Amino acid sequence: MDLLAQVLINGVLLGGLYAVMALGLALVWGVLNIVNLAHGAFIMLGAYLAWHLYTYLGIDPFLGLPLTAIVMFCVGYTLQRGLLNLIVRAPMFNTLLITFGLEVVLTYLAQLAFSADFRTINPPYAGNSIALGPLVVPLARLMAFGVAAALTVGMWLFLLRTTLGRAIRATAQNLVAARLYGVAPRHLYAVTFGIGIGLAGAAGSLYGTVSQINPYIGATLTAKCFAIAIIGGLDNPLGVLVGGLVLGIIESLTVLYIGATYDDVASFGVLVLVLIIRPTGLLGKTA
Amino acid sequence: MSPFRIGLAIVAVAALAALPLYGSDVVIQFGINTLLLAVLAQGWNIIGGYAGYASFGNSAFYGLGSYGVGIAMVQWGLPFPVGMIFGVVLAVVFAFCLGIPVLRLRGHYFAIATLALAQVMSAIVSNISLAGQNIGLVLPPLNNDRLFYELSLGLLIIATLTIFWLTRSRFGFGLIAIRENEEGAAVMGVNTTLYKVLAFALSGVFTALAGGIHAYWITFLDPESAFDISLNVKMIIMAVFGGPGTVFGPVVGAFALSAVSEVLSSEVTNVAGLFFGVVVVAAVVLMPRGIADVIRRFRTSGWHYFIENLRAHRI
Repeated sequence: MDLLAQVLINGVLLGGLYAVMALGLALVWGVLNIVNLAHGAFIMLGAYLAWHLYTYLGIDPFLGLPLTAIVMFCVGYTLQRGLLNLIVRAPMFNTLLITFGLEVVLTYLAQLAFSADFRTINPPYAGNSIALGPLVVPLARLMAFGVAAALTVGMWLFLLRTTLGRAIRATAQNLVAARLYGVAPRHLYAVTFGIGIGLAGAAGSLYGTVSQINPYIGATLTAKCFAIAIIGGLDNPLGVLVGGLVLGIIESLTVLYIGATYDDVASFGVLVLVLIIRPTGLLGKTA
Repeated sequence: MSPFRIGLAIVAVAALAALPLYGSDVVIQFGINTLLLAVLAQGWNIIGGYAGYASFGNSAFYGLGSYGVGIAMVQWGLPFPVGMIFGVVLAVVFAFCLGIPVLRLRGHYFAIATLALAQVMSAIVSNISLAGQNIGLVLPPLNNDRLFYELSLGLLIIATLTIFWLTRSRFGFGLIAIRENEEGAAVMGVNTTLYKVLAFALSGVFTALAGGIHAYWITFLDPESAFDISLNVKMIIMAVFGGPGTVFGPVVGAFALSAVSEVLSSEVTNVAGLFFGVVVVAAVVLMPRGIADVIRRFRTSGWHYFIENLRAHRI
């Protein structure tokens, strides 16, 4: 029983991190109707940025997180403004293909710049944990979960309450009408993509503290983010949080009951199953 | 097709078939790789180019074909042709069992579901002891590059002839109708589910055969390389670069991109992989319908062709 509870705790902590990873993907997909296959690669870049900040400048990954997010926001804004705005109205296949190409480019650049070695961000408190009776809660994972939950709720409030958030939601619903009300779509699309990539960067610096990073983690992470977005739906960040928790718990249970080598089978199996049974997502609507 | 073009095709095939007589070992090995990639691009062309279902999971077929040959030859001691047939059977079974549910999905959903399927297959195979788990299988070596070259060329010719048959058969028209308007096709009496699954399976057969030849040629198999996602990238890019939904486009794309990437990797190592990414980004923006369309329209519109493409989809 203790083992099960421990596994559930691990799953929930992992799920929070997954949620913040998928948040950016779901936002970009919902508003721009682009499934960004390079999303995982941007998470990888964020993780490397945090690793460099920590290793060379001694900036703690949690304190450096806003910096990473801002840098990645600028990258995303520029990319959308300069490149992706050229093809936003193209057929779905072209947008998939161009982000696929970006993924390849980013992975190779990362491999050239950072080598293929595994890296981890190891702050001094990385090994610490909090004991709850017989259960153990790893401190770094708990902090990552807290930040992830805060970001998700913050994102929800931002979309619901602020003018910019309303403009983003309006554009997602009806581009023409939003334009009539004074939304400048080129800028707004770039801001939205920037926020998505900024969230990927933030997720990356959290990911680096709890897991290993190398240039090739991107593709798997993208697929996981997609699974979460499918489960949680696109219209509400809280749905993404639920999706992340579901996936985190499923993976942890799979590791416990079936075997550690099967966790990817489980998450992608769930993705395929959800798509087959309910192609519109488990909660709410998808694009 | 005009007699001139048929003659041109025959001359090209004869020149390719005679290549082992005058080419060096390096050229023959490059030739095998290129021909197999062209087969993969043609295989993708059936489901992605003609039926309009952008499969990102064709590497699952490739892996199944490789493992069909690997398991049959290493574990059961059967000859190579039996292994090829076994790989094809695996691919067809996979296409029917998973094609029926997955082909109900459209657009993004189909693309990502197939991508996930390829990853699931890789993870499953690395847990099966018959398939050598993570360690992989070592096949008996056969040092006969010329044979592999002619086999690959033969497979590419069969694949291209199949595509040619698609352009003038009821089945092919049905697939094009599905690509252009699936509901419309269904209303006109096309059995869309059957046609899509058949196209998926046909695409899988060629991909699996290419995988089988490659496995026996390389004599080593592991889940990482057999279900390699970057192979998916390559076959899609080659087909799209050449012109999806055309008979010769994917072959031209595969030959052109392989040649450039080979030259690049011998001149500046490490840039070859980057090259594919840059090409796909540039191709999507400047020539989204491939070389075939550029050749057709460049004569009338000149350089404006690229500017028109740029203007077409921007916001």
